[in-house]
Amino acid sequence: MTRYAMVIDLNTCVGCNACMAACAMENQTPVWKNKWRTYVHEKEIGTAEEVRRRFLPRLCNHCDNPPCLTVCPTGATYQRDDGIVLVDPERCMGCRACAMACPYDARYEVTYGDIKTGREFYGDLKRESPSMDKCSFCAHRVDKGQKPACVETCVGSARMFGDLDNPADPVARLVASGVAQPLMPYLGTRPNVYYIDDMKRKG
Amino acid sequence: MDTMTYTTQNIWTWWIAVYLFFGGLGAATLTITFLTDMYCRPHRKLVLWGAISGVVLLAASSAVLFGHLLHHTAVIYVLNPLVLFYKPDAWIAWGTQFILWMMVWGTLYALPYMRETPAFLRLPLVGKLIGSRLAGWLVGCCMKHRRVVGWLAAVNGIGTAVYTGLLIQSFPAVALWHNPGVPLLFTVSAFSTAFAYLLLLLHTFITDENDQDLRHRYERFDLVLIATELVILFSFFSYTLSGSESGYRSAQLLWGDLGWLVGFIGFGLLVPFLLELKGAIRGWSSRLPTVAAALLVLMGGYLLRHYFMYAGVYAYPW
Repeated sequence: MTRYAMVIDLNTCVGCNACMAACAMENQTPVWKNKWRTYVHEKEIGTAEEVRRRFLPRLCNHCDNPPCLTVCPTGATYQRDDGIVLVDPERCMGCRACAMACPYDARYEVTYGDIKTGREFYGDLKRESPSMDKCSFCAHRVDKGQKPACVETCVGSARMFGDLDNPADPVARLVASGVAQPLMPYLGTRPNVYYIDDMKRKG
Repeated sequence: MDTMTYTTQNIWTWWIAVYLFFGGLGAATLTITFLTDMYCRPHRKLVLWGAISGVVLLAASSAVLFGHLLHHTAVIYVLNPLVLFYKPDAWIAWGTQFILWMMVWGTLYALPYMRETPAFLRLPLVGKLIGSRLAGWLVGCCMKHRRVVGWLAAVNGIGTAVYTGLLIQSFPAVALWHNPGVPLLFTVSAFSTAFAYLLLLLHTFITDENDQDLRHRYERFDLVLIATELVILFSFFSYTLSGSESGYRSAQLLWGDLGWLVGFIGFGLLVPFLLELKGAIRGWSSRLPTVAAALLVLMGGYLLRHYFMYAGVYAYPW
């Protein structure tokens, strides 16, 4: 069995936002209204001499117990056997309950207007229907044996993608070692995106 | 990952508050009037008002939600009753079915009364439909199984009222919403506003002297429900003060806002409670205080849902 997960090393993320750009081009997201499948949050922590910048890339956590899937009334949100959580735009009625349920702010809306703008912006737009949208771990690339676009493009190799059920996979080893931790595990969502905390260096 | 951002949402705003308010009020109104008709005494006018209010309010609330959907044609998946088999974990699926079937059984329960009301028979299209042979056959069936139809409508009505709270409870990131008190609070509020709405009707449009016992009974029920709501709200206050930062920030937003404190707690609960208490103990010489109390409870019902939606705080680790 395969169970996909991502590990993000906050020590090597330099905040270049290349992941956001690669994802936007790959998945044709509505960037004109600042909506992204993955987003890099930048924060200044501390004061005066002790201040440091921290970049935290955020995306859908492809939870094992996804609240967005539970609340979805039409069955548009579904989970594959490999753990990837997907949205079927044809089936999604856009009630936004998934956005309310997601603790990781991973969902955004794609409207009729966005589809129109998207055709002008991207040319050949793959999407036909408006719906709620989110990161798909680039399932279409993963199925072809490729890595997600954000992982492929990351200049600092901050993003790693792998199979948790393969003990030899570096991602599985990082997670098993406890170095990589999920966000807000106490919510019971069992996320599959893990973070290696930064060393709090000045930079 | 030692920083957090706390923020409220702007996804489900006033229109969901309207959806929840109209949904709870309409469902509870229909349920109360049908139970009154079945177990207190047959009351044609009350059932007609209850059924029409229920159907109109539920249709209005559903229209508000439908209008805000991103992909309107996909609503067909949730209108299909089979949705309960493939999505039994989604409260919106249950809520949609409760609303639909409450309207169907509610209309059927009221049909015999509609058929004997000249005003309905005079209506252009509705009159023809009600007077048709099919409607006559349906009336016969409904009269034969009166209580079954009444209870089917009432169960779906109660389900709708409870659903409005379960829907908000299903969002785990927000402490104010994700707790078992929410369905209880919203159900109590739905029935309290429904009793207030019916008191308003019984003092304005259904002014029969024989209904004095109903007015007293409804007023007492509403008093108990307002008192229960106050106890639940106090529990919420206590619960949100400690335990999680999300809850604490929600408490600060709610209890630091005059609209919540004075508008909802003061004028939406305490003032009508005192007015109805005086009415229940000593009575009023005029119907004005009871009408004012009912209007205030209805205002409070909306404010509760409005502030609840705006005070939900998400805690993001970035």
